[in-house]
This record gives sequence, C-alpha cells and structure tokens, in this order.
Amino acid sequence: MIELRGVTKTFGAKRAVDHLDLSVRAGELFAFLGPNGAGKTTTIKMVCGLLRPTSGVVKVGGFPAASAEARQLIAYVPDQPYLYEKLTGREFLRFVVEMYGLDPRASARRIEELVETFEMGDYVDELTENYSHGMKQRVVFASALVHDPKVLIVDEPLVGLDPRSARIVKDLFVAQARSGVAVLMSTHLLSIAEELADTIGIVDHGRMLANGTLAELRDRVQMHGPLEDLFLKLTGGDRPLVDGALLVQARDLDR
Amino acid sequence: MKPAPAPIPPRLSTPAQVASAFRGLRWRLAANGLRLLLTGSRLRLAMIAVCSAIFWAGLFFLFFGGFQFLKSFIPNLSGEFVEYIFSMFFLSLLIMLIFSSGIILYTGMFHSREAAYLLTTPAGPDRIFAYKFFEAIAYSSWAFLLLGSPMMVSFGIVEDASWKFYAIFPVFFLAFVLIPGSLGAIGAMLVAGFLPRRQKTVIGVAVALAVLALAGFGLRIWRTPGEALTSEWLDGLLARLEFSRHPLWPSRWMSSGLVASVRGDWSTGLFYLGVILAHAGLAYLLAAVVARDLYRLGYGRVQGGRSSRRRFGWYGLDAAFHRVFFFLPQPIRLLILKDLRTFRRDPAQWSQFLIFFGLLAFYFVNIRRLSYDVQKPYWRNLISFLNLSVTALILSTFTSRFIFPLLSLEGRNFWVLGLLPLKRESILWGKFAFSSGISLVSTEILVVLSDLMLRMGPAMMLLHMGMVAILCFGLSGISVGLGARLPNLKEDDPSKIAAGFGGTLNLLVSLVFICAIVTALAVPCHLYYAGQDNPEFAGVPLSEGQFRFWLTVAILVSLVIGVVGTVLPLRIGIKAFQRMEF
Repeated sequence: MIELRGVTKTFGAKRAVDHLDLSVRAGELFAFLGPNGAGKTTTIKMVCGLLRPTSGVVKVGGFPAASAEARQLIAYVPDQPYLYEKLTGREFLRFVVEMYGLDPRASARRIEELVETFEMGDYVDELTENYSHGMKQRVVFASALVHDPKVLIVDEPLVGLDPRSARIVKDLFVAQARSGVAVLMSTHLLSIAEELADTIGIVDHGRMLANGTLAELRDRVQMHGPLEDLFLKLTGGDRPLVDGALLVQARDLDR
Repeated sequence: MKPAPAPIPPRLSTPAQVASAFRGLRWRLAANGLRLLLTGSRLRLAMIAVCSAIFWAGLFFLFFGGFQFLKSFIPNLSGEFVEYIFSMFFLSLLIMLIFSSGIILYTGMFHSREAAYLLTTPAGPDRIFAYKFFEAIAYSSWAFLLLGSPMMVSFGIVEDASWKFYAIFPVFFLAFVLIPGSLGAIGAMLVAGFLPRRQKTVIGVAVALAVLALAGFGLRIWRTPGEALTSEWLDGLLARLEFSRHPLWPSRWMSSGLVASVRGDWSTGLFYLGVILAHAGLAYLLAAVVARDLYRLGYGRVQGGRSSRRRFGWYGLDAAFHRVFFFLPQPIRLLILKDLRTFRRDPAQWSQFLIFFGLLAFYFVNIRRLSYDVQKPYWRNLISFLNLSVTALILSTFTSRFIFPLLSLEGRNFWVLGLLPLKRESILWGKFAFSSGISLVSTEILVVLSDLMLRMGPAMMLLHMGMVAILCFGLSGISVGLGARLPNLKEDDPSKIAAGFGGTLNLLVSLVFICAIVTALAVPCHLYYAGQDNPEFAGVPLSEGQFRFWLTVAILVSLVIGVVGTVLPLRIGIKAFQRMEF
C-alpha cells in the first residue's frame, strides 16, 4: 500500500532523505525508527503528500502521493495534531465525515462506536480548547479512523498519553493492521516497536540502515539482545563519549 | 513476468461535498464563537460594542463635517473633486489591502498547522485556498468596512441620496475587497513557490517601495504651488492627483460608480458595479487557478526552507550590553537580552521599525527644503508639535504590535517565567525597560532632529524631549501592563494578538494617553505663539508671564498624567501577573 523507491529529499545543501526504499503492505504494521533528525518525519510528510520528493517515487495504494486518490485512502496523525478549538470533538468528527463524503446515517453510528471505543463520552460535546493533550489525541485518532482508511500513518503516537489511553491506541493499531490496513508508525519508543511491529525499519541520516522483522534484524546484526541495543549499535549510539566514557554498555552481546 | 494490476481507485469526495463540509465548518465555528461571546464577559462585549459605536460615530461626524465644509465651497459636491478624493482613498486602500491580505494568507496557507492538516484531507488545494481566502478577506477588510461605511453614509446624507444608494454601496465595497485580496493571494503564492526563503526580504522591499512611493507622492502634494484652498492651488492639486483616476484602476471604478449612484445616475453606477464585479470574479478565478497549480509546490518549498539551519552570533553586542547595564541585576539583564535577541532576529519587527522611523527621519531631514524653518514661529511651533505627535502615534502602533504581545507570546513556556528565581514583578519591569530603552533612543533622536531642522529654541527642544520621554515611558507602561493583564496565551501569531480585544484596547488607551499629553502641552504653546504673530488669534494671546505660568501648570499636569499612565497599567499588570497560575 505504501511504496517508496529511490526517494531523495534535499533542503538546500542538506540531504534529509537519501535514496530511501520502503514498502508497507496491506495488513502490515511497520515501525519506523531512527535518531532525532534521521529523516523519519520528512519521509512521512512525503507519503502524506505534504512534501514532494526531490527524486524517486512515492506511491500510496498504487497512486502518486498527494493525488486525490492517495489522500482519500490515507489517515495521518502528526506528532502535534490539529483540532479546531472552537468546535466540539463530535463536531470535528462530523466535519471529517462530511469532508470524506460519507453517508450521514452510517457515519453517525460509526462516530458513536468511536466515542465508545475511545471512552470520550464525558467530554466529546465540549469545545476542544478545554481538552487535555490525551483527550485531544483520542479525538484525533477517532477522526483518523472515522472514514475507514486503508493507510494509517502515525508520527509519535504515544507521546503524552496516560497508560489507559496508550493501551487503547496500541490495541487499535494491531486491530487496524489485522483488518487489512497498512500502518506506518514512527516512534522513539523502542519497546512499542518491539511489542507491536510486524516489520521494523531503522533509518539514520536519511538512509535505511536495516529493514525486516525483529528476528531478521537480529540475524543480520548478529545480536540477540533487546531492540534498544540493536538500534544503538546500528545507529552508532553505543560509541564512547568524548571523554572516553561509554554512552551505553551493550548488554548481553554474547547472549 | 506479468505486470502489476492497475490499482482500483477509491470513491472520491466530490467538490460539492468538500465545499459543503467547509461551509458547515465555517458556520459551526462562527456559531460557537458567537455563543461564547454572548455567554462570556458582558463587560467585554459591552466595551467592544461601545468602542465600535463611538469610533463609528466619531468617523461619521468627521466625514459629515468634512463633506459639509466642502459643499460650502463646491455646491456640486458629487462632481469631479470628490471623485478625485475617492479615487485616492480607494487607491490607497487597494495597495494596503493587497499587502495585508497577502501577508495574512501567506501565514495561513504556508505556516499554519491547520493548512498541514487540510492538505492531507480529500480537499483539493483550490478548495483549501477558497476557505482560507475568505477568512483572510474578513480579517484584512473589516477595518476598511468600518472606515468606509460612515464615509458613505455621511456622503449620502450631505448629497441627499435615495435609499437605494445606502443599499448598494456595501455591494460595491464587498466586490472591491475581492480584487486586492486576490492580487495579494497570487503574490503570496508566487513568493512561496519561487522565493520561499526570501519571503521576509520580499515583503520588506515591497513595503519599503510602497512607503517610499507614498512619501514621494506626499511631497509632491505638499509642494502644490499657490496659496492653500485658492482656485490656482486646487487646480494644481487635482493635476497632481490625476494619476489616481486612470480608467484601469479599480479605485476609479469605485469612485465613479459611487458618485454616479449618489446622484441617482443608475446606468453609470450599475455599469461600474458590473465592471468591479467582473474583475473581482476574474481576479478570484486567477487566484484559485494559481492555488490549484502552485499551492502544494509552494507549501513543500516553504516547509523545506524552514528546516535549513542558520547559525546566529553577534554575542559581542550582548557582552557590551552587560557592561553598559552592569547596575541592573543579572537575571533582569538576561531577560532584556532575550527580548533584544528576538527583536534583532525577527525582521518583521526591526524592518517595520526601521521603515516607519526611517521615513520620518527622511522627512525631518528635508524640512529645510520645504522652507518650514523660515516660516513664522507660530507655524514652526505647530509643525514641531505635529511632528512630535506623528512620532508618538507611530511609536504607539509599534508598542501595540510588538510590546503588547510579548507576554502572550511566552505561551506554552509561561511556566519558565513563573519558575525563574526572580520576583515576578521584575520580569515585567525587565520588559518595561526593554521597551522604554528602544523607544527612547529612537524617538528622542527623531524629535531633536525635527527641532534642529525647524530651528526651535533650546527651551522648546528641552520641552519636546521631556514630552517624548513621558510618552515613551507611558506607552511602554500601558503595553507591558495591559499585555500582562489581558494575555492571549493560546495564540502564537503576534499580529492576531495585537488585533484581538486586548491589543485593540491597548491601542485605544495609548491614543487617549498621547492626546492627553500632547494637548496639555501644545495648547499653552499654541496660544502663546498664535498671539505673537497671527492676527487671526489676536483676541486670545498669552503674555510672556501668563505663558510661563500656564506652561508650568501644563508640565505638572502632563507629569501627573505621565506617572499615572505609566504606573497604573504596570501595577494592574503586575497584580494580574502575580496572581496568574501556570
């Protein structure tokens, strides 16, 4: 459903994404990992059609990213999601329904389901300007799912969520992937990637360093410890600090 | 190998569905906003209503008096002379609306999180543009409607127009604003698409050129030969305004159409309305086509341009600041330095400051070319006070636009200020010192320059310097104090903070303060100089002794007003800031 072939994106002299190849199939939950400034958000923005690649091809569902067809298939939850402050949560969901041209009756039922799933009944009819970060995130996730997208793209999904909300969101990712949705999730929380992802891609300096299931990555790096050690080894995060102290002692290297 | 099957296209939202969704969104936002306004603070609502009504009525009586005055000289008022005035008025508005719509649209379309969200939805770029366009038009044009409606109503009353005129002039106005709005939008999209990293330079250069053209035009008008209000002078003036009546200017269509309508010449009036409507439609269509083809490209380029990292330096200036202001506590110095760095790294702030004060300096330097310095003392005194008032008015727009939003802009980082190891009031005093410092340096230089060019005596120069100091402290106190009392922590666009309730109140209070200080000191000086060499005012002269007495009284009164105007808003602000929870 998501296809990037030889994608490069430059900002002036800076190369944010460098000949990146990436593929996410329908029903696959892909975790996109990388240090700060690695090019994850730039890649995601190209998939969503917000940025144009300098070279290479980005397709969503077989259609060029940013085309009307691709946008109809996508739901995007950015790291700092946007809500209209002078709308209630329910009014915002209705706006999304109208935007996607959905049947009003079926959509009203779908909105009720999502209000229940995300436990928003207590506040969904209040203006969103009064919501906490977690409440806003729940509304944004509900708005992403209200039109049954075929591709779900999420940037840092669990930031600021309480354990209960985080559990709901994690279950939702898995349920969406199992129902045939392609989920592309960028995160710094390696434990989430380890727990949920079917496939993991590790990117640094705009290049894909490794891509595969956790077992495949472990085989490739010949390291069988936690994902954190593998990630740090691949991205050079285990190198010594300037004063000679080790930043991270790789654990269980021989395990 | 078999080629991959062609993807099955999803069912797309129709343009009508997207348009309906945007209509619904706009309606719900407006309805919720109105409900909040009605159920919120009654005092605030009443203040907005009363201030708007006073402002409208004030403008109405001003225009009404003006038109009656003109009619006493020109019985056929709805003739050529008023057409010239209207042409100039609408041409100036055309230029201002191009800039304001362009800037508002640029921010809304390329720098807002809403735009990023909408671009990922099924809405096409031209639909998103349409939604943002009408929002920007409403923001940029409401002042034009507020200013233009009392003018048209008073013009209609003086010219005894039929009721149809009052019904049709709003249609002229609404059609007219679409033309500069669309031109501004096209400009904004071209800058984003082709000069994404030079947007501030483009705006700065364009504003500088427009202001310089305006200044050049002002000088030409000023140099119209002949004694003022004589027929020779009037002919010369109209000849100089001829360019504003070019048949291809929308301002000409407005003036000719409105003047014809007030006379009841409906075939001409409706013809010009049709011309305006047709061009408004064409301009909007062009803008929508540019949006369809360039919006996404421009958005990507603007976002890309933002991520190019720049290194900032110039720390020698900071070290010099620490040495010069060694007597201030270090945390206060650091806070002032933070604001100074923001000021010098934000071209929107220093470029506006530089353009307006630069133009004033340009005019002051040219005072002797205009031979003002060899005029009678009465005129020189009048001009010196006018120069001082203009300097103060420009300063008040600067403090309202940049100083008032300072505390609001701390926004989500407000807790940082709250947790600093400082008395909270010190933070406000720091901002007050920052504002007063910049204001004092710039305005004192200007006023001294003006007085030197006008050959004013040392006593008057000292008086003016003192007045400017009072005005700088007062305007800074008002902006910092009200900024702390009425912060808008949810908004991160300073222009919207300045245009909100708090910002508007701040500007009104600042204007009242300037009026009070200038009037207190200008009146005795004016009466003294008027009595000296102007026979027109021979009946109300002040003798040397009376002048000294009344000037002393005026100085004391202005000092009291100055202290109250500075300290009272600051105390209100400090009290609110100390109570504020983070």
